[in-house]
Amino acid sequence: MAKEPVMPSAEESGEAITRRKLLSWLTGMGVFGSVLVSAFSNFIFIKPRATYGQPNRFSIGKPEDYPAGSRMTLDARRICVVRDGDRMAAISTTCTHLGCIVATSETGFACPCHGSRYDQDGNVTGGPAPKRLPWFQVRLAPNGELEIDKDIEIEPGTYYNV
Amino acid sequence: MSNQTTERRPWSFLTELPANVWHSIFRNPLPQSDVGRSSTSFTNFFLHIQPVKVHRHSLRLTYTWGLGLMAFFLFLILSVTGVLLMFYYVPSTTQAYDRMLDLRGTVAFGIFLRNMHRWAAHGMVAVVFLHMCRVFLTGAYKRPREFNWVLGVGLFLLTMFASFTGYLLPWDQLAFWAITVGTSIASYAPVFGKDVKFLLLGDASVGQEALLRFYVLHVAVLPLIMSVLVAVHFWRVRKDGGLSRPPEEDEKFPEPEPIAAAAAADASVVTTVSAVTLKAPLEKKTYGIQGIVRGPFTKIGNVPDGSVFSWPNLLLLELLVFLVTVAGVLIVSMYFNAPLEEPVNIMHPPNPAKAPWYFLGLQEMVSYSAFWGGVGIPTIEVILLLLVPYLDRKPVGVGKWFAKERLLANSLFMTFVVVNIVLMVVGTFFRGPNWEFVSPW
Repeated sequence: MAKEPVMPSAEESGEAITRRKLLSWLTGMGVFGSVLVSAFSNFIFIKPRATYGQPNRFSIGKPEDYPAGSRMTLDARRICVVRDGDRMAAISTTCTHLGCIVATSETGFACPCHGSRYDQDGNVTGGPAPKRLPWFQVRLAPNGELEIDKDIEIEPGTYYNV
Repeated sequence: MSNQTTERRPWSFLTELPANVWHSIFRNPLPQSDVGRSSTSFTNFFLHIQPVKVHRHSLRLTYTWGLGLMAFFLFLILSVTGVLLMFYYVPSTTQAYDRMLDLRGTVAFGIFLRNMHRWAAHGMVAVVFLHMCRVFLTGAYKRPREFNWVLGVGLFLLTMFASFTGYLLPWDQLAFWAITVGTSIASYAPVFGKDVKFLLLGDASVGQEALLRFYVLHVAVLPLIMSVLVAVHFWRVRKDGGLSRPPEEDEKFPEPEPIAAAAAADASVVTTVSAVTLKAPLEKKTYGIQGIVRGPFTKIGNVPDGSVFSWPNLLLLELLVFLVTVAGVLIVSMYFNAPLEEPVNIMHPPNPAKAPWYFLGLQEMVSYSAFWGGVGIPTIEVILLLLVPYLDRKPVGVGKWFAKERLLANSLFMTFVVVNIVLMVVGTFFRGPNWEFVSPW
């Protein structure tokens, strides 16, 4: 650096955008932007693309396993399988309040954690729960077993005819 | 020094070896004079973290109660016991609980180390909170210490988060359901809530992925962030002029005239650059380090300023706080075992499922409204805490407990504290099965 840097003249040091100002601004923005992008890429990295837990679509056996008029809770799957005559449905047993497992009670479902209550169809009847229990899609797979997909919520009260 | 007069023998390097090694490590003999006390602080890395001189007011235990130091020492205890526990712990859903039992049954001192880690963690949450109360009630967050208060609030939140992530690791019923409830609270946050929950758990529900993630956060990410913030927090304490104290403490010792002021021809320039009163740095002048450092500890010469040497005054007090902290943790760990419930059963939530005590105020609010109790009100509280030093700008009542001038601010803060403690007590003692009111008696 033998040459002295040229001091900006009076009009250049004013409001006008000089080449130096523009280049510094672009450099600064480039560095700042790269930092932002790399920070954000960390979030993309830690968001798993595949999960290792329970699958959300699973088989629950043949319709004959569920007698008419029965309400059977599968706690490991966190659903309650309801059979009303030839119609079947699957209601979630994960409390919509804070994720505890609701237990079946005489009037429907009750959550032991914070006292939310639901009726037989999963409508909220008391407690802090903000939403009703969702219903999941039930259908008969080609091998004759019932298949439930917890990724697909259906209109509550919609039954599947077996 | 001693060999200058005596004749050196060929083997003298051997006889002098211990002394030479000692003096190469500790460059100063035990200080006998003020110069010695200064250079002892200067030449030792660990002592250099302390100021050479510290104000008498900062040494009053009834002013600080040693709470900040205590929090730091608890952090040290947690680091040491935590690293030791890592030698035996496996973050796996099939092994974690067995390892807890092994700590109880087979590992030497295993149960004792786990007790120390658990009780020091509870203690740290409490002590950090009390430290925050001390700083507020003495008005210590005011200018120029605003940003250090913000750092402190950040450290408080990190302490809670570190504690929360550690809660899952034993993989017992308490752990599983507390984290299920806790992460569900996070999912109520607007816009990002669901993503935050998914990122934390690495899955739709608490399982192996969540255990691994919480482990990494607990043993690596959070301690690292906290260490950096603690370092900055300490550094700012010194750079902001030491601990807060009432202005009267400094008025007892008025600023001495700068030595050069009388002699210098251009008196205005010299007084401007005197170490303490520097307002706006002059463009053309070259400054020595004392010229730009703020605060009361950069005076040259031995002027009366109400301060004393850190060696031994501050160090002895620090040792006292350290001993009290370690003794407290040891005694509690000897008499009380850290709780360990049944292994995780994902089909049977305990009734009621309770979070750790310091989150029970939150859980109590959540039982009324998940969004407002779990997200809305806590967020508002944190934002208010962060803004405190920027809202309350009056520089009065600093350095005194319950200063009259700060009656309003202190009353508001105490209301906030009492409401949160009452909610915690209700959540802890007055809630039974199905989260219904019960009497603890």
